[in-house]
Amino acid sequence: MDIVAILQSKPVLIGLHLGFGIIGIDAFLWLLGKLKGDGNSQRSMVITAAIGTVAFIASWLAGGYYYVAYYGTLVKPVIKSGVAPWVHNIIMETKEHIFLFVIPLAMTVFFITLLPKEEMDRLKLRRLALWLSGAVAVIGLLIGVMGFIISATVRWGAIN
Amino acid sequence: MDKPKLIISSVYAAIIAIIFVVVITVGAELSAPLKDWLKDFFGHHWTSKSIFSVLLYVIATIVLYLSHHKYSDDRLKKTLGFLFISTVLGTVILTLFFMGHYFQLF
Repeated sequence: MDIVAILQSKPVLIGLHLGFGIIGIDAFLWLLGKLKGDGNSQRSMVITAAIGTVAFIASWLAGGYYYVAYYGTLVKPVIKSGVAPWVHNIIMETKEHIFLFVIPLAMTVFFITLLPKEEMDRLKLRRLALWLSGAVAVIGLLIGVMGFIISATVRWGAIN
Repeated sequence: MDKPKLIISSVYAAIIAIIFVVVITVGAELSAPLKDWLKDFFGHHWTSKSIFSVLLYVIATIVLYLSHHKYSDDRLKKTLGFLFISTVLGTVILTLFFMGHYFQLF
């Protein structure tokens, strides 16, 4: 088995999707703290926002590949025939689409961090940047909870 | 680089991308031909929505940044607030839509 086959395997894709998602959430929560505090350098905020944005892009690619290649044929039928078919219709459908909000939002927050601290304060953008950074983290957490519900439903479906 | 102009261009582009995702998602669920049209592009409706939304965001950001539109500091603040509201509304609308669709309210 070569490295590409390993990366394309289902458990690894799920792990990459989740792992990068956690890094993205942590980065934007960390950025939120940096924006709230006043003693952080602009460079550290740019790096934190860049790490978060790149992590969400990686999570989106890994999760998207898994969703398109495996979910519809292997996972969806188990959920639809299980005890909670609504998990696909409501939870999965919502999850896969609100994920598409994350990249433009994360990119915008990244662009805000490019402003020098003095200019961010002069334009009074710090508080709004904080709220947007929080929104990215909250959507990431929401997507994580939805992913957990979907995985748990598949296990119940397999048992029943 | 005009960083405030880059930010406001990104904000407008992000709002356009969010509105696009909400409209195309609801539209495709209510119209089978639209969903089939999306599938025909990249093999899966979600892949097409993903690629189109990212392209829309990137192209809109570049076009707005290179355009000659004027912005004010106050406008920048207002649009950032509007992006936050759009994100919350988009999330609520999609959640309620899929709930209503499942319970066959529409």
